[in-house]
Amino acid sequence: MKIHSKQINHTPMVMVLILLLFFPGFSPVSALNETRDYSRPDEVNKRIMQIKQQGGQAVKIHKLTSSPGGSDLLMLEIGSETGSESRKNPAILVAGNMDGTRPITTEAALYLAEKVISDRSSYTDLTWFILPMGNPDAHSRFFENIIYVDSRNFAPHNDDMDEFTDEDPYNDLDGNGVISKMRVKSPEGTWIPVSGDPRLMRKAEYKDGEKGIYKIYDEGIDDDGDGEYNEDGKGGTNVNANFPHLFEPFKAQSGPYPGSTPEVYAILKFAFEHPEIAMSFSFGSTNFLLTPPRGGRQGSVDMDKISIPEEMAKMMGFDHTRTYTMQEIMEKVQPMLPAGMEVDESMIASFLGLGAVVNPMQEDLVFYNSISEEYKKYLEEKAGKSERMDPASAKDGSFELWSYYHLGVPVFSMDLWGVPKKEEEKKESSGITVESLEKMNSDGFIALGEEKISQFLKESGAPAEFSADRVIAMVKGGQVTPSQMAGMMKQMPKPAGDAKKGDPGEQALLAFSDEVLGGAGFIDWKPYSHPDLGEVEIGGFKPYSDINPPAEMMDSLLDLHVPFVFELVKKMPELMISEVKTEERGAGIYALDIWVENKGFLPFCTQMGKRNKIPAPAIITLDGDGLEFLSGKKRTPIQELDGKKAVKQTWLIRADKNTTLNIKLDSKTAGHDSKQIKLGE
Amino acid sequence: MKTIKIFSLVTILLLSTVCQAQEISVPLRFDHYYTYEQVTEALQALNRTYPEFTKIEEVGKSEEGRIIWALTINNPATGKELSKPGVYVDGNIHGNEIQAGEVCLYLANRLLAKYSENKDIKEIVDRNVFYIIPVVNVDGRYHFFNDPNTPSSNRSIRIPVDDDRDGLFDEDFPEDLNGDGSITQMRIRDTLGKLKTDPEDPRLMIAVEPGETGEWTLLGAEGIDNDGDGRVNEDAEGYVDGNRNWGYNWAPSYVQQGSGYYPFQGTGIKAIAEWMIARPNIIMVFAFHNSGGMFLRGPSIKTQGELHPGDIQVYDYLGKNAEKIVPGYRYLISWKDLYTTYGDFTSFCDNILGSYSFVGELFQVETETYDGTLFRKSEEQSLFGSSNDQDRERLKYNDHVTQGELYHEWKPYNHPVYGEIEIGGWSKMSSRLPHSFMLQDLVHRNASAVIFAAQQTPDVSLEVFENKKIDKDLYRIRVRLYNKGAMASMLYSSVNNKLYPKDKLSISCKSGSVISGGKLTDAFNNVAEYKKHKPEIQFCQVPGFSKVEYQFLVSGKGKAVINYESRKAGSKSVEVDLK
Repeated sequence: MKIHSKQINHTPMVMVLILLLFFPGFSPVSALNETRDYSRPDEVNKRIMQIKQQGGQAVKIHKLTSSPGGSDLLMLEIGSETGSESRKNPAILVAGNMDGTRPITTEAALYLAEKVISDRSSYTDLTWFILPMGNPDAHSRFFENIIYVDSRNFAPHNDDMDEFTDEDPYNDLDGNGVISKMRVKSPEGTWIPVSGDPRLMRKAEYKDGEKGIYKIYDEGIDDDGDGEYNEDGKGGTNVNANFPHLFEPFKAQSGPYPGSTPEVYAILKFAFEHPEIAMSFSFGSTNFLLTPPRGGRQGSVDMDKISIPEEMAKMMGFDHTRTYTMQEIMEKVQPMLPAGMEVDESMIASFLGLGAVVNPMQEDLVFYNSISEEYKKYLEEKAGKSERMDPASAKDGSFELWSYYHLGVPVFSMDLWGVPKKEEEKKESSGITVESLEKMNSDGFIALGEEKISQFLKESGAPAEFSADRVIAMVKGGQVTPSQMAGMMKQMPKPAGDAKKGDPGEQALLAFSDEVLGGAGFIDWKPYSHPDLGEVEIGGFKPYSDINPPAEMMDSLLDLHVPFVFELVKKMPELMISEVKTEERGAGIYALDIWVENKGFLPFCTQMGKRNKIPAPAIITLDGDGLEFLSGKKRTPIQELDGKKAVKQTWLIRADKNTTLNIKLDSKTAGHDSKQIKLGE
Repeated sequence: MKTIKIFSLVTILLLSTVCQAQEISVPLRFDHYYTYEQVTEALQALNRTYPEFTKIEEVGKSEEGRIIWALTINNPATGKELSKPGVYVDGNIHGNEIQAGEVCLYLANRLLAKYSENKDIKEIVDRNVFYIIPVVNVDGRYHFFNDPNTPSSNRSIRIPVDDDRDGLFDEDFPEDLNGDGSITQMRIRDTLGKLKTDPEDPRLMIAVEPGETGEWTLLGAEGIDNDGDGRVNEDAEGYVDGNRNWGYNWAPSYVQQGSGYYPFQGTGIKAIAEWMIARPNIIMVFAFHNSGGMFLRGPSIKTQGELHPGDIQVYDYLGKNAEKIVPGYRYLISWKDLYTTYGDFTSFCDNILGSYSFVGELFQVETETYDGTLFRKSEEQSLFGSSNDQDRERLKYNDHVTQGELYHEWKPYNHPVYGEIEIGGWSKMSSRLPHSFMLQDLVHRNASAVIFAAQQTPDVSLEVFENKKIDKDLYRIRVRLYNKGAMASMLYSSVNNKLYPKDKLSISCKSGSVISGGKLTDAFNNVAEYKKHKPEIQFCQVPGFSKVEYQFLVSGKGKAVINYESRKAGSKSVEVDLK
């Protein structure tokens, strides 16, 4: 991105100093060397080709599809089984920049691929599927002559439902190469400048008797003369809103149906053709390592409190006035089914129309929270303590949510950078966070004292009825534990802060622009004579300044964050046969016990995967000459095994003494193992 | 010599009858069911006979590589395809629901064969374009005819799914153990069983009373345990239901079995969706299934909320008439009167393609009676068990009206696991399919329901009902759009969801300018909703059986041209002289 680097170059030493202060992980060497720019779509694909050349046989490029704008989506496959038919290794699916607005995330995916090919051991037992640029059309906007942030690809779409398509884009009126904002005085204005820093704008507060002065528009004119500004720019579907989980039809950017855009359809198809995918990772706008996936969405049915519509209840002998657990319903329905048909949760859920799961499963949040703690510690060790603005929540219809809810695999994500928090904001803090609260016991919480707790409640925007003394009494009385409180707080909206100072994110961004970028992140308001609106001022934040760091910071950020992916893959589930016991019962009959253990930290499979029944089961196969099964079968599926746990499977078999028994354990996502024993030894 | 002559004569006669049976000619016959190959031949025959009006196209290919065919019927003399309302009809998305294909073929045959002699048919063929895909699940139809099946098996599209979660895909199909072409039931003599022989008809079984000695245990559908997991027939083809794999309100398979891994995973389903999207003029959709005798409209899930009242009016008009055209059939709301479905075809058509859409559930088993009257069993028994009364009646029908063609008598069989058992029950061509003697009636009445709907596609006329000089070179022009059909020119839901731009009404005047323009809500009192920007272009919808009026003030002279352009209702144009 040219504009940033030019302006920053005026004061290189000052900047490096500041960066050192703010980001201890920032390496001055890379900053002083010639700065690397972010890669344009064609450069990204060139680098993918280079990786293929360097990696040789271990690397294959899958051309998934082309975007509506004509760019190829290239997926790198790196592994020891590349090109071979048989797939024994589990795989990780990595996507970069699905939103198309964060070029650093594409760089991260490329960086990861380069790291992987440079170390054979990183792909001996693991296949990497890396798609560095999932939304090339939007990605390319970053490099255009006039820049603005827009996640949509280049499929044409008639946004304003008039007689033309894509006819009213933004216009760079002041010719500075960026689309910023226009503020114009208007009788209908609702905005006023922030008194401390009039560069920032805020909504006028009616309750304080304020009247708005300005209206704010995006920079542009009414190209098609319909009275609206910039309402139908180039673009159709946001790739990262077009996945099937919580897909929202009829929204401006979502596309007509899930998978309607070729980028998404190709990913859906590829992923389900590769059942060895055991984990998914996104370099994008969310950061599940800092902030685990959020719950609190309405719509999930409580499986312990299912009510049954009157008609159905009558038909099946249920009481429609009470609720049932899933288990109760299953037990009652089973005898009504024809012989050989087994009832399961899906059958009941679909019959009663219970709908989809929309909140992360509690059991899965355990590993999310644990890994999050580890990541924070990792960052602190490598780069010292620093505070940044919260990452964005996962969007409905995003790759991240689809990976978790539909593929049923653990998904992690990184956004690599966030605007640093403003210094003064930190000072106000009570020192308690929701995360620290979660780990406190009741005594520890009470020991904080009323003042601190009161401060904390205020900061977190707790409702007024939850005063400090009341909360303390509740904890003392055992009605609520600190971790339950933390759970509730995670679902509350974030507190607004002091509205009069403007939006906290904007304040932090402005401070970052002033202090680190030498002012390059903000365009000062300048008067402009607008053809339709008359006298206006054009100015505001530079596009991308809040979501993508300056190119100078790229290398240090990649060096800091990306290697954690290698820590994550170490946690993948890994199944093994940990123990085999046989006991002779006479008459050539043996009781056989086999313990299968998940050595990995992550469960085989996620709780969500158990629910959606997508991840493939592991299979134990027993083989031996003349082997006869009195109890148990030759093939035994194992559907689930939590991390660091073992499960016992038992058989009663009959075979001659000294028969060799071959035990095989095969999982598409969690490895293979085998053992051989001789019966009766 | 003589014997040789006679022999060759016989051979020729035999060959010619065989050829006759194979050759499909127009008009098509409906006293038998068409195999997948014969459906293709029938479409080709229609195309050969009516080359000007018809076109056959390959829409796409199925999982097993079979071609999905579409027949388009359009009279080129009355306009191009996309300039007319599109009526889309398909069938057999579930592989076993084969008579849906015959309804499609019958409709095509009737429209084409009767065009020149029946004025009602001529009118709808001239005014609409018909898109007909007789067989959606082409693999399913092929396997239904060629493999042993139950009346309900082989619905799926051919995407292998590990139904029993054992790591193997589609590894335990049922088997036609006794080789009679159908998958029927297995039963074993069992004094501890819960069933005994029905004293009224020994082929049926009834539950034993408490304390009574049992006679039978049902072992399920005919087959063996192919994969040795202790379960019989638990992982047959699929299961991916073609009618749960569409992109509106799609939900994964743990919410609803058979939805596939993602929307449009089915190659044929995806191809049809794309083919339909390329035909934005489609305003009416019929998707034929079996069975039950129903015309179903959306919504298909409760949480979607009721449809727009304006659309309900259209559905009611069509549905209540369809109920009469096909006696015994009921017009119902999908989620409420039947069950919830996610990702079904007609919801996609209704919401994403903007078409009024019905599912037609063909055939009522209640018509299988000895004396020909409708036998309505009590509703409660329908879900989890069969009514013996009805089965007794159906067996009499089988015995005396179809000469035993629908039922396989119980016969002994030596099963590798169960030992001495009996196999028997309803054949695959029973229960959901009419016997061929009833097929003609079924296809005609259901095709008539489609024809009734095709008479109700939007039929919009454009007229200038006032051209008044109000000052020097200033004219007030009032325009009326009137829709003779029951269907709105655009669904109300499409308007609300901003699915696509509304119909465009525009006025242009070479030597003049449009001062104002807007919807005239009260012509007598001159109340109009003026559009501030670009008054010469108005966006509108014309409701069924209704008019909408617009008013323009034009300053100028000479001719003004008024155009109406609709995605689904065609275009109209009029000229007025400003004087």
